[in-house]
Amino acid sequence: MAEEHVAHAEDERLRHSHLRRYAAVWFALICFTFLTWAVARLHLPGGWAVTVALTVACVKGSLVALFFMHLWDQQGANRLVFVTSLVFVALLVGLTVADNATRFPLANPPGTLGALPQGGADRDPPALP
Amino acid sequence: MQASPLAHHFESLEKQAHAARLGMWVFLATEVLLFTALFAAYGVYRFLYPEAFAASSRAIETSFGLVNTVVLVSSSFTVAAGLDAATRGKGRRTAALFGLSVLAGVVFLALKYVEYSHHFHEHQLPGRYYGYEAIQAPGVQIFWALYFLITGLHGIHVIIGMTVLTVIGIRAYLGAYSPAYYVPVELAGLYWHLVDLIWIFVFPLIYLI
Repeated sequence: MAEEHVAHAEDERLRHSHLRRYAAVWFALICFTFLTWAVARLHLPGGWAVTVALTVACVKGSLVALFFMHLWDQQGANRLVFVTSLVFVALLVGLTVADNATRFPLANPPGTLGALPQGGADRDPPALP
Repeated sequence: MQASPLAHHFESLEKQAHAARLGMWVFLATEVLLFTALFAAYGVYRFLYPEAFAASSRAIETSFGLVNTVVLVSSSFTVAAGLDAATRGKGRRTAALFGLSVLAGVVFLALKYVEYSHHFHEHQLPGRYYGYEAIQAPGVQIFWALYFLITGLHGIHVIIGMTVLTVIGIRAYLGAYSPAYYVPVELAGLYWHLVDLIWIFVFPLIYLI
């Protein structure tokens, strides 16, 4: 039965000692931590700072998920569950921010980035027919 | 000799372990979405009030976040090593390594306590309690509300994780697990790794950008 095979294979892969692998991952995580801290001190222009920081965070997170949490040597179901949650993370954060970012300016709270600039719009209202 | 941990509705211990892992991963997915809701709020308000958020983030002492990240990452390593020991039947070593992770949790919470004390002292507080004169910009109260919500919820998860590791660690010390049955150790480890994983994203968002 397929299920028997999956359960057995999942179990087998966990049995060999992976201590050296864990140590290597730990060392990589420490390096990435200091890397992201060092890059932050460079104070890159706005969008780049966020992009670099989140990219490094994703790499670190992948290392933790794949190796510490054993997704690297496990079968599809657990990986599918985790990847599905990431899809919903992207949807929730991405679409919500995109909402505010693409609004008609008066629909954003006054004084915020997506709202009408202080002193009014930079163009005349459209002429009425 | 203790009773077999095999429940009657599973055909084999391997299938039971497979089901346990899948169930745990589904739970972890829900925890990820729990924090994502807060991250979505952070994303929206960071977009709307970029100066206030950037200035407030700069006002937070980065070294605390850096040390806490190193602490949590290392505690994840000791948990992984603890699981490795459990798969080879070394329950006492598992208990010792989980003990180290719990200690790391204590260090993490102690540093957060120092940070929170500093914020309270400087009146860097949410909403109408905000009183930090150095940064007065619209949106700054929202930053601090999100700061305490995110780090507070994460801190609660650290405490839960420490409790779980303590319980499983004690049972490992008492010989409850063996190379044939170590799934509870694995699941406890997964929860702690998730706590670390969440912090890996909290650190840049709150401290670095």
